[in-house]
Amino acid sequence: MLRHRLSASGRRLGTLAGLFGLCVLLWTLTPHFLTVSNLLNVLEQTAINAVIAAGMTFVIISAGIDLSVGSLVAVAGVVLASTLHAGVPIPVALAVSLAVGFGFGLLNGLAITWGRLPPFIATLGMMSIARGCALLFTEGRPVSGFDPAFRSIATAKLLGIPAPVFMTIAVYLLAHFVLAETRFGRYVYSMGGNEEATRLSGVNVRLHKTLVYGVSGLASAVAAVLLTARLNSAQPIAGIMYELDAIAATVIGGTSLMGGEGGLGGTIIGALIMGVLRNGLNLLGVSSFIQQIVIGLVIVVAVLIDTVLKARKN
Amino acid sequence: MRALYRSMLWLAVAIVVGLVGACNRDTATGTGGRPRVALVMKTLNNPFFIDMQRGAEKAAKDLNVDLIVQAADRETDVERQMQIVENLIQAHVGALALTPSGSREVVPVVGKANAANIPVVIVDTRLDQKAATDAGVKTASFVGSDNYRGGQIIGEYLVKASNGRAKVAVLEGIPGHETGDSRVRGFKDAIKGSPGVTIVASQPANWERDQGFNVFQNILQAHADIDTVFACNDIMALGAIEAIAAAGKAGRIRVLGFDAIDDARRAITEGKMTATVAQYPDEMGRAAIEAAVKAMKGEAVPPDIGVRIGLITRDNAARESEKQ
Repeated sequence: MLRHRLSASGRRLGTLAGLFGLCVLLWTLTPHFLTVSNLLNVLEQTAINAVIAAGMTFVIISAGIDLSVGSLVAVAGVVLASTLHAGVPIPVALAVSLAVGFGFGLLNGLAITWGRLPPFIATLGMMSIARGCALLFTEGRPVSGFDPAFRSIATAKLLGIPAPVFMTIAVYLLAHFVLAETRFGRYVYSMGGNEEATRLSGVNVRLHKTLVYGVSGLASAVAAVLLTARLNSAQPIAGIMYELDAIAATVIGGTSLMGGEGGLGGTIIGALIMGVLRNGLNLLGVSSFIQQIVIGLVIVVAVLIDTVLKARKN
Repeated sequence: MRALYRSMLWLAVAIVVGLVGACNRDTATGTGGRPRVALVMKTLNNPFFIDMQRGAEKAAKDLNVDLIVQAADRETDVERQMQIVENLIQAHVGALALTPSGSREVVPVVGKANAANIPVVIVDTRLDQKAATDAGVKTASFVGSDNYRGGQIIGEYLVKASNGRAKVAVLEGIPGHETGDSRVRGFKDAIKGSPGVTIVASQPANWERDQGFNVFQNILQAHADIDTVFACNDIMALGAIEAIAAAGKAGRIRVLGFDAIDDARRAITEGKMTATVAQYPDEMGRAAIEAAVKAMKGEAVPPDIGVRIGLITRDNAARESEKQ
């Protein structure tokens, strides 16, 4: 266990050095990068991906994958928006939306555990089903225009720091506590490491695996709240391909797609690397085509590091 | 050791980013204090926006300003477009020209540009009037041609060309996209007065060629008597043409498109396609940058700058494309 932790923190240190190096580099290249307002801007922009990636980290550590998160963002968003438009108090609307995200996530989990579908297939199906639900629910139109009180979730500032940053920190503290300090968290790791052994040691794998996808759905719903408040609108076509950004942040952060190892500390750094990279490439005025190449390279290199290290270890 | 290897690979990434950055450093910081303006588009995966970029670049050269062109990877990704605009505000560009990926969703970020005193020119897709008024955001100008009017033009053409008798299938864009909705609305309003022209099927094909093919193939299975297809962009229309050929109905179904991209003009010249509506994105790009530069200098800019829009049929398809 101790060894496991040490290697994880070593890996995290490497990724952190990557983030730091990237920042230094951008600082030398453009005077607009290292300003308080730009750094806060990056944190605010990273919030949505970071929150989704927190849920994705649970799923990937359990040796699964969740391709439906982008569509769940859309469903939770349009439900939230419609509930708000129906005049329901904000806390109730938030609760309804989070419940919808959690519920769709549980459905993913049930299809995987009781239906014995591979996670890739179950969540691929859900990606389409949830997208269809969001479009059907809104007849394809965005639902927009909310009370300033609701919008303050994205627009409010405390000590000059945007509210979504605090929300992201809260999500990570809570998620880290669950993953590192609770029995459920330990089961997530052990299911990902060796599912059969976990089952044989008396753990209810079906229940806990279903919950893992519930957590991912819940995280998507939290992201939907942020997105809806930020855009002052919920679109049924929101969140397309967000799953790939979330998976990228998770694997850049050193969580293995094979399951059983990784953690949230790495994921937040992974999300920040993607955010800083996109921000920096915009500030530098780099062509959008080249941006895609650079971001793709970063993802591949990050995973390459993992594979190379694994091969050395064995 | 592990951390070391990881850092070394990150160093490799840093070098790549550094090289890319260094090459673009001039545009980022402005050469010789030349003013910088930015054009933020929906996507670069569409010839329409490439033409717009070309027009904008020409205008920037003529006006002696540096131009930064940015776009989201996907046309639907408003949040990403918002991030780009936020980042350009941080880079202190002098003025912004923006084609909104969402008419309402970009309103908050236009507000941020207002707060930073950066004038914004909206191009091609209008801001939602109500959302903009509610949020109290200001724009310097709107540059574009009217999609609703374009839909009307093609609808009026159909009524005339068919002598008021047609069974029409409509291929829509992505549901909820203002551009496609306006085109369909204009089309429907134009055929309203002709009871002989009826829409027997209307399905989204999400702006894509392969989906235009599949969706129209399916529609043909259900409605063999269709004699006209109106696709909300040329790319879907080109897909429908393939489906018509596959069904052995080439020449018996009118194909109407929108955008007048080069492939569509060629198809019209070859007689595979009937008509399309030309917008002039290069003119939009040029007018947008001219307006943005004026606004940056504090000169007066008209609130609405119209760009021409017109019908393309076999009569003018070749001539028009020579001009380009």
